[in-house]
Amino acid sequence: MSDKRTKKRIVSIPHMGNIGIPVSAMLKTMGANVYLPPANNRDTLTLGTRHSAETVCLPYKMNLGNYIHALEAGANVLLMFQAPGTCRLGNYASMAESILRELGYDFEMVVFDMYKGKLVEISKKFSIATGNTSIARTLFGIRLGFAKFDALDEIERKLFYLRPRELEQGRAERVYKAGRSAIDAATTVSEVKRAVSHTLKKFDVIPIDKVTDRLKVYLTGEFFVLLDPFTNMNIEKELGKLGVEVERQIMLSDWTNGALLPKWLQKVESHRDRSARVAGKYMTRAIGGECLESIGDAVYAARTDIDGVIHLGPFNCNPEIVSQCILPNISKNENIPIISFMMDEQTGKTGIVTRLEAFVDLLYRKRRKKLSTNLCTNIC
Amino acid sequence: MKIGIPRALGYYLYYPFWHGFFNELGIEIVLSGKTNKKIVSDGSALVVSETCLPVKVYVGHVLELLNNGVDVIYSPSIQSIAPKVYNCSKLRGLPDLIRNVIRRNFLLIEPTFDKSVPKQGLQQFLYETVAPLGITNKKKIDLASKAGWECMNNYWLMTRAGVKAEIALQNIINGKVDLTLKTNELPINAAVISHGYNLYDEHISMKVIKKLEGLGVNSLTADNLNLAQMTKGIETLNTNLYWANEAEITGAAGYYMTDNAVDGLITITAFGCGPDSLMIERITRFARRLNKPILNLTIDEHTGEAGFVTRLEAFTDMLYRKKRTILVETLNRQIYNGDEKNIQLVQEVEYLNAKA
Repeated sequence: MSDKRTKKRIVSIPHMGNIGIPVSAMLKTMGANVYLPPANNRDTLTLGTRHSAETVCLPYKMNLGNYIHALEAGANVLLMFQAPGTCRLGNYASMAESILRELGYDFEMVVFDMYKGKLVEISKKFSIATGNTSIARTLFGIRLGFAKFDALDEIERKLFYLRPRELEQGRAERVYKAGRSAIDAATTVSEVKRAVSHTLKKFDVIPIDKVTDRLKVYLTGEFFVLLDPFTNMNIEKELGKLGVEVERQIMLSDWTNGALLPKWLQKVESHRDRSARVAGKYMTRAIGGECLESIGDAVYAARTDIDGVIHLGPFNCNPEIVSQCILPNISKNENIPIISFMMDEQTGKTGIVTRLEAFVDLLYRKRRKKLSTNLCTNIC
Repeated sequence: MKIGIPRALGYYLYYPFWHGFFNELGIEIVLSGKTNKKIVSDGSALVVSETCLPVKVYVGHVLELLNNGVDVIYSPSIQSIAPKVYNCSKLRGLPDLIRNVIRRNFLLIEPTFDKSVPKQGLQQFLYETVAPLGITNKKKIDLASKAGWECMNNYWLMTRAGVKAEIALQNIINGKVDLTLKTNELPINAAVISHGYNLYDEHISMKVIKKLEGLGVNSLTADNLNLAQMTKGIETLNTNLYWANEAEITGAAGYYMTDNAVDGLITITAFGCGPDSLMIERITRFARRLNKPILNLTIDEHTGEAGFVTRLEAFTDMLYRKKRTILVETLNRQIYNGDEKNIQLVQEVEYLNAKA
């Protein structure tokens, strides 16, 4: 115990898209030293793959790679979130811990087990991780973190809208990146708000093509792959280049709100509730992971004015295999184009882009056909 | 009244119960045939290629039942067996999968068993099971449940006494309890760790138990253990119950790993099995630590029998050699501990060996 007190505690968390920004803000406010491993890259994946079982899914390999990076850099407290997903994820923390110990690292693992309650569990585990005992500081930290979650989502949504429409490609992306680092640097809630409004103003001056209508696709599937741009080969950017507007079904704050906030604090219909309502006869029960959500989104997309659905998941993800089996049936019955991409460490970007181009071509043709039939009926 | 039960997945775990239950209610069970090549390829054609072999086989069995004119299919979804102890996603969503991939007109009986939801237990599950068949008399269903449990308990009584699962199941169908064991002493004991639906399906496991018998290996399975032993096994491996079918993998492996009468472990996993990928990883790591020989075999629809046999033979050879070494060592020790003449003899032999 004395050893723990004297040793400088450096906390680290694995990456999942932008999750590092708000969570490190929470931790820093509570007085912890935070080390963020380098953003997910090939090296992370190689490291993770080397030390894990062959058929374990990609998120686990990424997390393990992040952990090793962090431990090498001197971190000694590792955080892991276990949300009510009940796929393999719930087993990952203990598995990663035993592997890292076998590799000879000395560290402490703090698992946020969302089964055991939400807000209480979070504040308890944060105080274990950071050594912080002040309730006021914990609450302030959590509030700042959630403000950052929402802020990041707000500017990302705007980016999704602008990317396919901007006249000068890459400009919106630059503004977004600047905004993201401004949010990262903010230390109070009002600073976060100021950063957001500043970024939105910059977004507003970007010249866009207002005349032509853009194709709109839903991006759905497993949350890690959806949220992590390295893992999904930055599919949103590729689609933006092709002039397609993306509506990602899981935003960072949707997931955190669902996983972290208690039910009575969630005012709008949650993603899962909507999916369960819409999925109907295609999927009658939640089976863990995001299977129900994927199915629900596909059906929901078909009933709104969405042109197509892109379904993402890590290779060998159990729930997503089930949805992959079910999606063709929905595509046929509800008349909506659906394409599935399963990512693993062997996936090449070129193959994905080629398939995306073909898919987008198909969507264009479908829309043109619809327009021409509409025109015909109008003229007649 | 007829009900079709696919001879796959749940059949190998719960069939004795279903046998007792449905027979008591006067419902005739129609089973699909044993797994063959056609069933596997028919099933594989309907689902994505990443799906694990047992699920593909299950789809194939449902198709076979439908082709044979059975239009009531029993396909329960076992969500969780205890609070927060969930099953694999593919097994949880099995009826939904079947409904979506087989687009034909048939009655799918799809009750959900979920112990994580309050007031959802076996009774509720059974009412849900027979409601589509028009049976709503709760007293009758409860009686049938008792009959089901009688069969299930008799089955466990037999398997835990050491009767092979196949013979025990046949005994249940014939309505008898027979605890006589076919005693043929085999020199090697190996624990075969796998899910029942992989192990006892002779097409999937390629008759591994019989093959091992031919190599002089007596195979021990999770069915030969009781719940307390498997719980102890899970504790041995320093983990807790996470998956619904964790006991028959982690539990059995943990128990047999610390059992000195067992010479080695053989694990059989379907490619892409989610729960197994982690459980087998843990078992392999512990086996290495405890210096217990372990052979990991992965199967899918393309697994060749020859490669399978070669690896089994090599592993058995190794087990034989290890056992012989241990035997020779103990013999030597006994000789050393004996009288002086023997010691002289051994020393002489060692001297000669050194010279040579």
